[in-house]
Amino acid sequence: MTRPLPSTVVSDLAEIVGHEHVITDPERLLVYESDGLTAYRRPPRAVVLPSSTEEISAVVELLHSNGIEVIPRGAGTGLSGGALTTPEGVIVGTARMNRILKIDVENRLAIAQPGVINARLTEATNPYGLYYAPDPSSQSTCTLGGNVAENSGGPHCLKYGVTARYVTGLTVVLAGGRIVQLGGVGRDPYSTLDLVGLFVGSEGCFGIATEIEIRLLPITEGVRTLLGIFESVESAGRAVTKIMASGLMPAAVEIVDGPTIEAVEASVFAAGYPLEAGAALVIEFDGTEAGLDLDADRAEKCCLEEGAIEVQRATDPEHRVKLWRARKKAFGAMGRIAPDLLVQDATVPRTKLPEVLAGIDDIGNRYGLKIANVFHAGDGNLHPNILFDRQNQNELELVELASKEIMQLCVDAGGTITGEHGVGVDKREYMTLVHGPAELEAMAAAKRVFDPASLFNPGKVLPDVEGEGTTKSEKILAMGE
Amino acid sequence: MRVDLTDSLSSLLPKEAFGFSVPSSLPAALRTDVETIIAPGSVEEVAMLLQWASERGVGVVPIGTGGHTYPRCPSDPFIVLTTSRLNEIQHYEPADLTMAAGAGVLIRDLATEMAIHGQWLPFDPPDVRNRTLGGLVATGLSGPLWAGYGQLRNHVLGATIVCGNGQTVRLGGKVVKNVAGFDILKPMVGSRGELAIITSATVRIFPLPVLDRLLVLEAADISELVPTARAIATAPIMPASVSLRATSNRSRLLVRLHGAQVSVDSDQKSLEKHTSVSFEVRDSPEDQSLMLEERGGGMNTEPAVRVWALPSRIDALLDVLKQVPGASLNADVYGGSVRVYLPEQISDIESSLTGLQKDIEELGGTMRALQIPAEVNASAYFTKPLADEGELASGLKRAFDPQSILWGIG
Amino acid sequence: MKGTPAYEALGQALDAQRERLLPCVHCGFCLPACPTYNRLGNEADSPRGRLHLIQAVVEGRLEPSSEAFRTHIDRCLGCRACEPVCPSGVEYGTLLELARETATQAVPPGLPTRFLLKVLGTPVLRIPFFFIGRLLRGTGFAALGATVLPSYGPFRAVRLGLAMLASTRRWQLMDSKESMAGIADSGSLDISQKSRVAVLLGCVQEGLFRRINSATARVLEANGYEVVTVGGQDCCGALHAHGGDLESARTLARSNIRVFEASGADLIAVNAAGCGATMKDYGILLEEDPDFAQRAKEVASSVRDVTEILDSSGLRTGASVPCKIAYDHPCHLLHAQGVERAPITVLKAVPDAEVHVVAGAEECCGGAGIYGITHPKLGGLIGGDKVSAVRACSADAVATPNPGCMMQIGAGLRLEASNEGVIHPVELLDESYRRAGFYRAGGVE
Repeated sequence: MTRPLPSTVVSDLAEIVGHEHVITDPERLLVYESDGLTAYRRPPRAVVLPSSTEEISAVVELLHSNGIEVIPRGAGTGLSGGALTTPEGVIVGTARMNRILKIDVENRLAIAQPGVINARLTEATNPYGLYYAPDPSSQSTCTLGGNVAENSGGPHCLKYGVTARYVTGLTVVLAGGRIVQLGGVGRDPYSTLDLVGLFVGSEGCFGIATEIEIRLLPITEGVRTLLGIFESVESAGRAVTKIMASGLMPAAVEIVDGPTIEAVEASVFAAGYPLEAGAALVIEFDGTEAGLDLDADRAEKCCLEEGAIEVQRATDPEHRVKLWRARKKAFGAMGRIAPDLLVQDATVPRTKLPEVLAGIDDIGNRYGLKIANVFHAGDGNLHPNILFDRQNQNELELVELASKEIMQLCVDAGGTITGEHGVGVDKREYMTLVHGPAELEAMAAAKRVFDPASLFNPGKVLPDVEGEGTTKSEKILAMGE
Repeated sequence: MRVDLTDSLSSLLPKEAFGFSVPSSLPAALRTDVETIIAPGSVEEVAMLLQWASERGVGVVPIGTGGHTYPRCPSDPFIVLTTSRLNEIQHYEPADLTMAAGAGVLIRDLATEMAIHGQWLPFDPPDVRNRTLGGLVATGLSGPLWAGYGQLRNHVLGATIVCGNGQTVRLGGKVVKNVAGFDILKPMVGSRGELAIITSATVRIFPLPVLDRLLVLEAADISELVPTARAIATAPIMPASVSLRATSNRSRLLVRLHGAQVSVDSDQKSLEKHTSVSFEVRDSPEDQSLMLEERGGGMNTEPAVRVWALPSRIDALLDVLKQVPGASLNADVYGGSVRVYLPEQISDIESSLTGLQKDIEELGGTMRALQIPAEVNASAYFTKPLADEGELASGLKRAFDPQSILWGIG
Repeated sequence: MKGTPAYEALGQALDAQRERLLPCVHCGFCLPACPTYNRLGNEADSPRGRLHLIQAVVEGRLEPSSEAFRTHIDRCLGCRACEPVCPSGVEYGTLLELARETATQAVPPGLPTRFLLKVLGTPVLRIPFFFIGRLLRGTGFAALGATVLPSYGPFRAVRLGLAMLASTRRWQLMDSKESMAGIADSGSLDISQKSRVAVLLGCVQEGLFRRINSATARVLEANGYEVVTVGGQDCCGALHAHGGDLESARTLARSNIRVFEASGADLIAVNAAGCGATMKDYGILLEEDPDFAQRAKEVASSVRDVTEILDSSGLRTGASVPCKIAYDHPCHLLHAQGVERAPITVLKAVPDAEVHVVAGAEECCGGAGIYGITHPKLGGLIGGDKVSAVRACSADAVATPNPGCMMQIGAGLRLEASNEGVIHPVELLDESYRRAGFYRAGGVE
């Protein structure tokens, strides 16, 4: 059982944030035992819900001065267990910090608190002709603070880039509760190192972002969405390569494979795809209205040349939603056909997609597991979904083994172990597939600069120090000689 | 301080690493002190060299061509390390739109290779073609084209670095989306050689635009152009870049539109409607290069500073800057930054700079010295980082260069 | 506590719903849709958190009698805004009712809730209860009490209750003296193609809003439907089901199924969103009852919101009623029944009625039965936001097709001394038809 917090700490926390925003009874803490990855469950010693930078600072100061680890949490939608507590940790949640503090139309900037939901920022800035570009699939619920921690992506990051490109400044609370300003538009960006860029994607291990300065973009004039139906993933993949090589710059290129289409069609979200479809390819162009039909024509031609069965095109929003349906509903649909689902995340060079997909197929066959693929084809970001039933202990082990093989396959193809979900607790053991001791030590050194006593989200991202620690330093020594 | 280090180094490195002459482009103050310029030919050689230096407490000044930066001058024994021999294109897969190359490869050589496949690297700091890839990454300069393509730091996918203690670290990878661990690569971009020496980098590249159109608007006084520039910066379409150039007798607003002919035509129309002006159009590269390259063909010798403010304050910034006698200006409208080139024969440069710095700071802006005569203490005209930022940056410096042997470009 | 036969039985009841819980993949898409989570920021007050607690009970990790389980299950408004945003299609509403049953059997609910459910479910108590209500309303005592009573301590609940009662008055724009009956002019409609429709009278609706039931029958007839009178109807059981008293809800459902089956109607028109949502789910409510499971499914499949019926074929156009109407979605219509457009179509069918959808119309008004009385602070916060959004429309009246929402929003407006009327959309259509002379004068309402 989790060790309760000392009562003086609890009363001091209540003093800072108000009694009703400190959760300490074990029954309520059950709710915070997992984030979006339920394979790991561990309740924290307490949950604190501050409402301002100052409150977060005071809470962190209090906890750190008592040697208590702080686990930051946004909406708890992460898929790598990044918000899972340590046995001794206290979760500091940003749910109540949900205000947009400023919309600066002239400079196309916004300043938001970390608990603001991604899609709300776009809703709030739309009346000014602006929007926030990164659009993770969970954008209707995930928070900007979580996006900063994970450096989140999304389908349209193909053209527009990930979170780091849009975060221009941060107010962060660091170890001991120190409030620090990083970056900000209008200041000499070369006056120091890119600390904002380093903080983005640090998975809550460096501190908590409490105010986020964000660059907004003007809403594009027009959109064209194409849906290509293919007999096989390979031909859809070839069409993607052709489109990208032709000099076109689509906003999004997504592939949904045959098993996924099967799942969607078998669910309440059936989109009416032909049953013989081996893959569906969604391509989107946005920008100046005048050029879009030309782009769409060229992309359509690429699809047909690679053997598309049919290509549909949408210009109005309703039709567009329909074409996106299979992609957007895939995750939920799979929840309906299998009791459990492990969403994997890895990136490979785009040209390696066909061979990697064939390899994943082979791994699925060897382990007797159903693997459905939904992926950001344009930037080679794969999401193999492994379907299983956790009641079946044997199957659970197979899922573990298959996952590891998929990771190795992607790394061998020149890719990496995570493209957008982060390492969290789930992928720590895979870190050694892509990084050697020197790289891991460099990352640990960066963490020590921000959080010397390792009191922010310990046990995440970097593999365990215990056991590996000695071998690691031995290796470094050997290299030095 | 002059030191003869060649003897102890010659056993360490092959002879190809020696015999480089000191580039004349290096600032005179540094140049006169350089005894030995070393050109390692591999990442292993760089590692050996840095380990050697850190063991002896010898300073290392990293340069690419040495033609675009203003290295600082260590007071202790030092060597200059050039990446010139790390000049191989290591990996180029046009269909993946990624390229990996040694730090010493010139951008113009990369551009030639990429052009064969209809691709390019869309960054345009002054004289970009004659910079090295490593230099570009180390300075983190994007140029005004960042407006349409994003900043360089977002397109560096991976790099191999050698830290001050000789430790080689491979950062990132060759895929565009990668969150496997803390993003140490970000602070390396723009670290100016302070943390580590970048020996190679992988960058995301882009398809060449079908049409690269330059819209030009001329006026006698830059103030006449500022309202139009601001209007463009808030227009519903994003040009590839918007810049303002002014000399004492002529000012130009330059807008680049990239895309297919129809979209460029349409963008131009909507810009002209939005700003109520009509632009002179230049579509041919020959016409354009004259204007785009007018500044920064190689290192300029005159004193220069760069100032920043919120983009919405650029009019106030330019109002101040045009008062500087004889200055020519080069403004990135989206970025809210202006390069200010002062007359070569400026009298009492220190009081000019001090006055300018005061004015800029009053506007809420910041200033940074780019090129200052040797007798002037340039660091007095560097923007001071916020105290906490400075402390964190020092922490990173200690972590990556514990002996503090790397003398970056300040 | 564990191992006590009573809890084991409760655990089994929830355990049987494992299939309904499993699709929850913990993705968190429901969080921003939840009015209580949005205001409290505590995940135990979110749909995902509540499902997690329910699952913990099923797994035997949490006692149903625990304060945490009861509090957070009780604090749910039951608005079901989480259902349409759930990618996995978790049937939250059904699970909530089961969880409430489990929680209330472990520890009975508070006195006001028990009293209300008892009264509404028992005709001999219900009739005098609403008689007194109408008396308080008619004499102006309710309105007076809502004005003069202080808003603190024990008065707060009484004041709110009286304000809710006072707000059930007919809107002034509607002509109250001239009651209508029968159809004078059936226009050019082809009556033979329209269905036979029975109208659910409901408990609160018949007790305080009989005018809406009359208007419902009239507008249906005016559009060519044959309205059949169904005697012996009872409360639909919605409030009992929401409160966790599923046994009473089932008894009431069986009684209604019998009379509606006997009526021979093709469709059952419901003008209270909460009742419609529950009746459409009769099949699930009675799925374990071998005698009624099939019958319940069939009756449920004939249930429609009255606006759905009206929207299903071209509406007749009546006379002009110039006014500005703010429309708010009842949760049990929008989220539970997926009906979004129909009530707005009905309002827009009235010439010169300007219809504005309230900003945030998809969010609960905080009515949720007697939530404002059982959860004064949170209910007040949610209700206050809704009242502000309604007032921002500067409308003459707010329209919302559910009695609970009408009373909640009406009371909120009244307590802020704001003058908007409160109507059901069919009332406006009815008024338009009356002005057009579609009805015979002089009948009895």
